[in-house]
Amino acid sequence: MSDSIALYVARYRPGEDDAPTEQRYDVPLSADLSVLEALNYIKDELDPTLAYRWSCRMAICGSCGVMIDGEPRLGCKTFLREFAERGELHVRALDHFPVERDLIVDLEGFMDHLEAVKPWMFHEAERPVAEGEYRQTPAELERYQQFSQCINCGLCYAACPQFGRDDSFLGPAALTLALRYNLDSRDEGSHERMPLLNADEGAWRCTFVGYCSEVCPKDVDPAAAVNRGKVASTINYGLNLLRLAGGKRDA
Amino acid sequence: MRKPWRPAQRWNWWVHNPAYRRYLLREATALPLFVYTLVLVSGLYRYTQGQLAFTRWLEAMQAPGWLAFHALAVAASVLHAVTWIELVPKLLVVPGISGLTIKRGHQVAALIGSAVVLGAALASWPLGGGGS
Repeated sequence: MSDSIALYVARYRPGEDDAPTEQRYDVPLSADLSVLEALNYIKDELDPTLAYRWSCRMAICGSCGVMIDGEPRLGCKTFLREFAERGELHVRALDHFPVERDLIVDLEGFMDHLEAVKPWMFHEAERPVAEGEYRQTPAELERYQQFSQCINCGLCYAACPQFGRDDSFLGPAALTLALRYNLDSRDEGSHERMPLLNADEGAWRCTFVGYCSEVCPKDVDPAAAVNRGKVASTINYGLNLLRLAGGKRDA
Repeated sequence: MRKPWRPAQRWNWWVHNPAYRRYLLREATALPLFVYTLVLVSGLYRYTQGQLAFTRWLEAMQAPGWLAFHALAVAASVLHAVTWIELVPKLLVVPGISGLTIKRGHQVAALIGSAVVLGAALASWPLGGGGS
């Protein structure tokens, strides 16, 4: 194993550059060094102007998502030893998001999509506290638990060519979040979310590329969630037709 | 000063990533199947024009180019079925039944369905002689 590795980092300085350009940094190589730690080394020892996001260092906060050799990955969960044989790796900001500076992207639109699906509990009538908590069986928990593990890192959006083509698509994480609440036995708000799932920007924009599930660092399987959203949307459409045929209003 | 950099998606977005290439290969299976339906419809049209026209069409279909095309159509159809059934467990979640069981069930159903259609086609072959 060589004692150093070359990191080619895409730099973008909005005041100076029209487009990102790669800059080479040579970082000491050790088997337990993550890409995030390598970026920290560059920032501390080689170039304090490098901009990137990070926080927890343990795949919980979802801040350090970047493209590593063309794949959306968390910097903290990717180790340099994987690239040791080749002696180099290329890091750039997450695809499909506007790049603000170096490895930092604008996640505002992504956050708006998450909020759009109303990711909170709806209750027809609030229960008094005296009646106790909303209880669930293990089977009811299991229905949505996998989909509640999302850390909002945005890797699935960087993996989604449909979002890359048109960012009005709600995208994998937001549609997964919608399903997570629709599947929760304590929630009574699926009628609030179905119009979004049924909309042009909703589940039907997905063409089941499936790469979002491959890159998800928490094994949430957003592709499954989005496509189960299509099943829910189809059932909702059929029920709505019956409702209309019965002389009731379009819901 | 903010000046976000946002490139438009390029036509070759799928070239450099094997996951995207696999996806487009799966989607591209629709193309040979589309052409195959046109070929099949042309055969039906020839059939309506009488036995001679149909026999000539059958002979034309035995040219190496058409045989190669049919092999391609079969391969595309199989790839489409395999990749589609692979995804079914993600959509069809039945409590108490594993995803593997659902997948195997679909594979068996696809094989039986194909065998039934093939058997029916051979049994009702218009020129008689059981597919000769």
